[in-house]
Amino acid sequence: MEERLEERAGAAKAKPSRLTALQEQLICALLGSGLSRDVLVQAMGELERDRASAGAERGERGDGESSEEGEMDFPPPIFRELEKLLPEEAAKLRAEVDQLLQEDPWHVAKMVKSYMQQHNLPQREVVESTGLNQSHLSQHLNKGTPMKNQKRASLYTWYVKKRGEISQQFSNAKHGLGSGEEQGEETRKGRRNRFKWGPASLQILFHAYDRQKNPSKEEREGLVEDCNRAECHQRGVSPSQLAGLGSNLVTEVRVYNWFANRRKEEAFRHKLALDTPFTNQTASSSHPNLPQSPEHGVKYSQQILCDSLSSARGSLGDRVGRLVVSPIQLEPSHTLLEAHNPKLVSSGGPLPPVSTLTSLHSLSASPASSQGLIMASLPSVMSLGESSLLIGLASTQAQNVPVINNVGGSFTTLQPISFQQQLHASSQQPISHHLQSHMGASPFMATMAQLPCHMYKSDSPQYHSSSLLSQAMVITDSSSLGTLTSLTAVRQILTADPEEQTGSPLQEDSLHLQQHPPVPASSESLELYPASQTTESHQSHLLSPSTTDISSYIPTQMVSTAQ
Amino acid sequence: MAGKIQSLTEEERTHLLPLLSNAQWVEVVGRDAIYKEFIFKDFNQAFGFMSRVALQAEKMDHHPEWFNVYNKVQITLSTHDCGGLSQRDITLATFIDQASMM
Repeated sequence: MEERLEERAGAAKAKPSRLTALQEQLICALLGSGLSRDVLVQAMGELERDRASAGAERGERGDGESSEEGEMDFPPPIFRELEKLLPEEAAKLRAEVDQLLQEDPWHVAKMVKSYMQQHNLPQREVVESTGLNQSHLSQHLNKGTPMKNQKRASLYTWYVKKRGEISQQFSNAKHGLGSGEEQGEETRKGRRNRFKWGPASLQILFHAYDRQKNPSKEEREGLVEDCNRAECHQRGVSPSQLAGLGSNLVTEVRVYNWFANRRKEEAFRHKLALDTPFTNQTASSSHPNLPQSPEHGVKYSQQILCDSLSSARGSLGDRVGRLVVSPIQLEPSHTLLEAHNPKLVSSGGPLPPVSTLTSLHSLSASPASSQGLIMASLPSVMSLGESSLLIGLASTQAQNVPVINNVGGSFTTLQPISFQQQLHASSQQPISHHLQSHMGASPFMATMAQLPCHMYKSDSPQYHSSSLLSQAMVITDSSSLGTLTSLTAVRQILTADPEEQTGSPLQEDSLHLQQHPPVPASSESLELYPASQTTESHQSHLLSPSTTDISSYIPTQMVSTAQ
Repeated sequence: MAGKIQSLTEEERTHLLPLLSNAQWVEVVGRDAIYKEFIFKDFNQAFGFMSRVALQAEKMDHHPEWFNVYNKVQITLSTHDCGGLSQRDITLATFIDQASMM
């Protein structure tokens, strides 16, 4: 009896039109007990809000994924709001899911994917709560691989729920309530999702790293603020609704760790650079040597490239050309090419297996696909893409890359390759071997196949180690690439072009493809090309469309389309 | 509870109990308590009454023993701490009577 009285006492506020006799009685009792109307109404409001959010949370959880459908029986059914939340919310969810199911799956997939990118949600979370296969999910979202309706339903259910949770988190943040926080992954798994840096934050961090590698606590805290503001902005919410960021909230510790990791990376990169000096100066002389340790060297150079790229990332804004700097060792020898798995991309750490850049060359190995996804074998490069510092080429969603076609008459047979732009997580993109197929038209072209220009992720055509091609590509701004029609012209341009040749002549310059106006080449770079004796043969080699020697060709200089 | 509840003195009893008796409160046989039965028009009325009493009881921190079936409410008042009637019972009884009139 006591309990009942308590329940009654806490009953929902009265709506005169719908008040039962008992409710009337209870209200009277309440009022008679000394409660003023205002106090009562106010208390009702607060109670309702608390109950509503708690109920919604439980209701949504109860009305879980397809694996756990069913309403949860929330204890106090007296609360009409709660009752409404459960069945109504569930009904609303289902209705929306049904509507999504009617739409074009690819459109919905794009929507879901972009939402996940915007809020930096890991696929793992989706997989865990929907029971879908992660590979299948990834392919469905990224490439449109078909997915059966029931599975799509569970995906959409998760999506609708998550959207609601997140917007609730944001609005709770606004009201200062923490009730919506514990949801989803936390309550289910007892731990939050792994933190992930968003592209906006990374941009800020790289800029700061470029200025100072070791920021003080105050500076770090400032960065925390900036990053969180940027992340909120990316999600379209007002800054300082931080609770909505959830597990991706940037904290001072995270910033501290990020800087520490970057410093470590750089130290490692220097160490590697010291370890493998062979790559740098000598060009063709090391020709014979290359086959022996090409992979090795390539790897290192790759790494160096990666690292420099990553470090360059921060400075991209200022010096585009810097990207170019890190020499990419192209192992012109087919041996290298074939040795490496043509499958490029590794979204791994900063030091990915090198061959991604070079392995593309092997025509046979790589299947051509019309989707020219240029893969950035270097994660750092990829990140460059993400930062949109990439050239204009990168900025287009999908475009045919005219470059290849224009590079020379011999290239004309190349079909335009459309590159998909992947701005996010492009590291997962498969490396395109597409070029290769197109390249097949001429031997030269074949070699042109892939330079890992993935930096620009989608756009830079990958070009072969043939310096000619690369140079050609390099030199021209993306727009001007098309104008290259003669090799000689290319060479000229080349000499004029590169700004810095930092490294090994075996440079792959895909990076260099940029639309930024080329910076007047520093003479040093020029030297690399014409000056090096070792390159002579290559030069001629380069210039000639015949690619007979390509296999043994070693790009002698790092062409950087300096900007 | 701060302070020991005092049982009603003889003087108080002779003074107060007759008033309650007039109000249909009956002394329980075998214990020092008072009892009354209320009958209402329907359950809602009865329960509304009980709600009012409950709120008051909470305020006073003194709770009745009671039974309810539909429109009937039977109430026994006694103070556990002193094992018998106390001033609180009298106060509550008065309140109960008032509440039953509403």
